[in-house]
Amino acid sequence: MTSIISTLVEAWQELRINKVRILLALLGVALSVAALTSVVGLGSLVREGIKAQSERDGGRVATLTLSVNGPSTPDAEKLEKAYEGIQQRYGITTSTHVGRTQAGFQFPRGVTAVNMTIVDIGYGIIHRVPLTQGTWFAADDEQRLAPAVVVSEAFYNQAGRPNLATNPRVSIPGDQPATALIIGVVPDTYPDTPPAAFILTKAAAMTGMKPDMTEFKLWVGEEQANALTAAITADLQSQFPGYYAQAQRVDFAAWGDPLGPAQWIVGGVAGLVLLLGAVGMLNISMVTVRYRVREIGIRRSFGATAGRIFVGVMMESVVATAVAGLAGVMLAVAVVKNPWIESKVAPGLTEFPAFPIEAALLGFGAAVLVGALAGAIPALVAVRVKVIDAIRF
Amino acid sequence: MDTSNSQETLVSLRSVTRSVTLPDEKQLHILRGIDLEVLSGDHIAIVGRSGCGKSTLLNLLGLLDVPTSGELEFMGQPAQRLSSNARARLRGSTVGFVFQQFNLLPGRSALDNVITPLFYAKGKDFWRRRELAMDMLDRVGLSARANTMPNMLSGGEQQRVAIARALVRRPRLILADEPTGALDVETGQAVMALLDTVATETAAALVTITHDTNVAALARACYRLDSGVLSPLARAEAGAHS
Repeated sequence: MTSIISTLVEAWQELRINKVRILLALLGVALSVAALTSVVGLGSLVREGIKAQSERDGGRVATLTLSVNGPSTPDAEKLEKAYEGIQQRYGITTSTHVGRTQAGFQFPRGVTAVNMTIVDIGYGIIHRVPLTQGTWFAADDEQRLAPAVVVSEAFYNQAGRPNLATNPRVSIPGDQPATALIIGVVPDTYPDTPPAAFILTKAAAMTGMKPDMTEFKLWVGEEQANALTAAITADLQSQFPGYYAQAQRVDFAAWGDPLGPAQWIVGGVAGLVLLLGAVGMLNISMVTVRYRVREIGIRRSFGATAGRIFVGVMMESVVATAVAGLAGVMLAVAVVKNPWIESKVAPGLTEFPAFPIEAALLGFGAAVLVGALAGAIPALVAVRVKVIDAIRF
Repeated sequence: MDTSNSQETLVSLRSVTRSVTLPDEKQLHILRGIDLEVLSGDHIAIVGRSGCGKSTLLNLLGLLDVPTSGELEFMGQPAQRLSSNARARLRGSTVGFVFQQFNLLPGRSALDNVITPLFYAKGKDFWRRRELAMDMLDRVGLSARANTMPNMLSGGEQQRVAIARALVRRPRLILADEPTGALDVETGQAVMALLDTVATETAAALVTITHDTNVAALARACYRLDSGVLSPLARAEAGAHS
């Protein structure tokens, strides 16, 4: 125990004495670790941002879309029954219709056309819809006489940003005029997007909104996705002979991880940066050991064993790179968690994830590994020094 | 040497030789048939011309090297049978070296230099390293300069720091290689007096290699090394030898 502590104390003393030289050597390692950790951290943030955006557009893993096409439009009632039957047979609990249309809303500055998405409650789960205020649709919203709407920030701004606690309403003029109740606000997908809103399928029918085309989406487990896709396609096809029926995955991971190759490339570049830092560190360590030959000889004369000299030289390197790694990781966290950088890298996120612990561990681990590798070769040289020659060096 | 008063044998050399192979494959015999016993409390001086093998003999005595042939016993243990690590541990706990060029570690204060051997000690000696080193610096009269860097110390002060460093682990055997070689006569005498006093106080054996007849005259036993052959030297002869 004493020898482990004394080795660490000795290594720390060496670092303290040679701080300027070591600081210069470690600057490269700290920056390399910061680059590696930042790249992995930013990559993770970008990934989360793209994932959130992809989930908002296509649905979360695994989302299936059902479609039946043919020489004529299939009977809507029969289609609905087919969809219901499929959900029951395969035990699927989360589904939604998705239809799109436009509707005019009365705002303080006049009537404005709003992009409407006609959905069921399950849409919020399937697309993991983020809310900046209020709530997503609940079961009792289908019973409301005044249809509930979840609106975009652009819509909310045009409506004068009313307090949702006051149950703000907005008029829908037209053939079947109605008054809608704003219950929630979602962030805009992109800056300057036109106003948009979500409305439940039953409420849309009440206000006379007719979608141009309707999709039906199911959320299933990723493991069963492929099997269910084939089974549901066959099931649907048997119910609509003469039509082309299909169940298809539409989530972002349907064709494998789209971000995987990019992350490998970026990780490779970061690894290369770290390797260059390691080579610099090794170079300086080798020169330093040659400069310290006499010192090593003197230490041997005091009773330092070859193993102790090896561990001592290596520990100096490892302790130093561990400190540099810690500094590099802290720098990376400061960069990646900077609010301005977060908003630019992942504009689609409303809540940013915590700094990925695996990026911090990777950076710190890489620093320690570099220290061990850059320390091992000089340590071997140090052990091979002949004591008698070293003292006279 | 008088072995009658229960002195323990620290190092015993019997028919020891040391030779090295030169680049042209020829053998260079540095030491030939050395017989020597160093007892606890001894003060031995070894004189000889440059290149006669004095430092090689000192390296053998300090377990830095092993003989080519013959027997070298260190505190009853045959040195040739000890591993390099075992010799290092034995050396650390029982031998203190004082070098001609002081060999203080640069960039470290006098105190840090004296502490260095205690990094290789175990238990209390390691944990009390600062206290022990300060005590030893006090003993050599340098406690006031504990935090001074070696390059700010005079030659005599540097050698006193080196002595404190050699003695801080309370060695049984002190090996001094030309300890006054880099000092003027007066400072050299003061350093030798200090070395002799501290060695006597700690009952350590002191083996000094020197060119200086005055230094050799301080020893209780004196040997001459000539062309690798060690022979006893009478005290009167030691005074006359140069």
